[in-house]
Amino acid sequence: MSSAHNVHTDGSWLSHFDRALFAIETKLTLLGGLAVMAAMLISVANILGRKLLNMPVPGYVAIMQQIVPVMAFLGISYCQRLGGHIRMDLVTGALRGRWRWLAEFIGILVMLILSGALFYGAQNHAMRALMLGDTTDDLGIHTWPVKMVVVVMFVFLILRLFLQLWGYGRAMQTGEEMPVAVPMIEDAATQALNEAKTVSSLDEEPLK
Amino acid sequence: MTTIEIAILLSGVLVLLVLIGVRVAFATAMIGITGMFIFYMTEKGMDPGRAMLVTLKLSGQIPHSKTASHVLGLIPVFILIGYLAYFAGLTKAIFEAAKRWVGWLPGGMGVATIFSTAGFAAVSGASVATSAVFARIAIPEMLALGYDKRFAAGVVAAGGTLASLIPPSAILVIYAIITEGSVGKLLMAGFIPGAVSAVIYAVMIVGMAKRNPKLGPPVTGYSWSERFASLPPAAPILFVVAIIMYCIYGGWGTPTEAGALGAFVVLCMALYRGMRWKDLSGALIESAKLTTMIFTMIWGVLIFVRYLGFADLPNTFAAFIAGLHQPAILTLLIILGVYVILGMFMDAIGMLILTLPVTYPAVIALNGGIDITREASSLGMSGEECGIWFGIIVVKMAELCLITPPIGLNCFVVAGVRPDISVQDVFRGASPFFVADVVTVGVLIAFPGIVLWLPNLL
Repeated sequence: MSSAHNVHTDGSWLSHFDRALFAIETKLTLLGGLAVMAAMLISVANILGRKLLNMPVPGYVAIMQQIVPVMAFLGISYCQRLGGHIRMDLVTGALRGRWRWLAEFIGILVMLILSGALFYGAQNHAMRALMLGDTTDDLGIHTWPVKMVVVVMFVFLILRLFLQLWGYGRAMQTGEEMPVAVPMIEDAATQALNEAKTVSSLDEEPLK
Repeated sequence: MTTIEIAILLSGVLVLLVLIGVRVAFATAMIGITGMFIFYMTEKGMDPGRAMLVTLKLSGQIPHSKTASHVLGLIPVFILIGYLAYFAGLTKAIFEAAKRWVGWLPGGMGVATIFSTAGFAAVSGASVATSAVFARIAIPEMLALGYDKRFAAGVVAAGGTLASLIPPSAILVIYAIITEGSVGKLLMAGFIPGAVSAVIYAVMIVGMAKRNPKLGPPVTGYSWSERFASLPPAAPILFVVAIIMYCIYGGWGTPTEAGALGAFVVLCMALYRGMRWKDLSGALIESAKLTTMIFTMIWGVLIFVRYLGFADLPNTFAAFIAGLHQPAILTLLIILGVYVILGMFMDAIGMLILTLPVTYPAVIALNGGIDITREASSLGMSGEECGIWFGIIVVKMAELCLITPPIGLNCFVVAGVRPDISVQDVFRGASPFFVADVVTVGVLIAFPGIVLWLPNLL
């Protein structure tokens, strides 16, 4: 399995598009993280309000039902850019040169077809909620905006997949070893080092 | 071709897609959609256009409808606790306390490492990151005291695996979601087996150090006042554990609320210790990324599961397993053996999400079905108990894959943090713990009460 995040850049149009999209994806993912924090604070307010003041957050379950899909989807394209979605790369990683890029190209093409199919289904789901004026039982929150978030994130994912398809397509053509705008497969040791870096310098505090 | 034959064929294609590197979540969803499309044409007699339309409308709802659940809110909150815990400065505090209290044992620093990783696991659900942190804190101290390099590295790699069982454990929540089990009961069920694992590790370390004192000498010389002085800095961990356990066990709140309260306490501590916006935003982005990865797996697999339900494959497989003319325990051991092999090549979460839709109903059927009583069952547990027990066993199996070659990530992490220790040495150092884990699984199979006592009190 891989969680590689080694994406090369250069001065090409492809790399420019990649970095521009990545800047937006990063902000969307941060928004997803803030949604996690919001869910945490609302849950704390609910339990403390209910137990201490006998005053739970009104419509707590309905609010959480709206927040969770936001957390689940805002990072989907960011995760794909960094190669974060779980995969098994034992076979692909063993391939070299154009064969590897061909295998990656096919993999991305499968994802693109699927994302297109799910985009259609998800927008149908959202549009129906909009047309019917579907709301939650508590508080009467309209459900279509969150359903639309899912649709929008599929659009971002499709854009990202197009860029990766372009990247692997170009690599197949040129036979280059380090294509831009696509996540490179890292071995377990490199992945481990990156994992270790995420907690580096956090354990340096002296014991109080 | 019958529906079942098509389902088996498509499962084969799924394996092929995963092998050529298609992201697991997307490969499963793709096969699920393809299967539904074929099902609507062959079984419902729809023309291809109509079958495609119905399939897309149905599967397109799943990513939203299956994630719009307040119970699932627990996963990102648990992930966030793990990231914030590092900023709260709890790692050194708990290691210092463990060192002063159990360092006097043979191999005492190893025992201290195991107990401090277990304690840290109580506020962090991430195995790999736990190993990374303790590789920095514990290994230098052990080497300075003359501990065997391989032994020290193996202890840290194995200690990191404890995070999967001890609550808060994101992987147990995922199990509960996939199997539609009780999140609270599963979290409670992980507590004692996690502690038993830690004790078995510790006993093994003491035994190894007694047999070969060169592996790790004891650390002596701490007075009782020094020991007690080490407790207050580590106390917040106990506080967070107490909050989560009390909320779930005492019925004070839902698991999501308990997790949120724990995360809030850790956030306050991290802010008190001077965490800045840059650190917080980094933790939030990492949490959101991991959350997305897990949720994508969940909805991807649930599209596949919807198709499997249409094709009735899980029930057919379960009936096949239940109908085997051999002892139930032997069949169970074969299933666990398959997990050991899969774990050598697959990520723990990926392995569980991919296999559970088929193995869970099979194990439940093996025991006699979900409505079976304890007396009438073949494994000595009621249907619900069997679901909880299997969850703990299978998560323990997933832990194994973190220290087995060729891709045992905890071992690579330790070798990555300590370039002076080769990954082969870490794998060799961790191999006795693999044996200890097998013993633990054996104990949990022989005495299911260890798993079920706490959840049965709920």
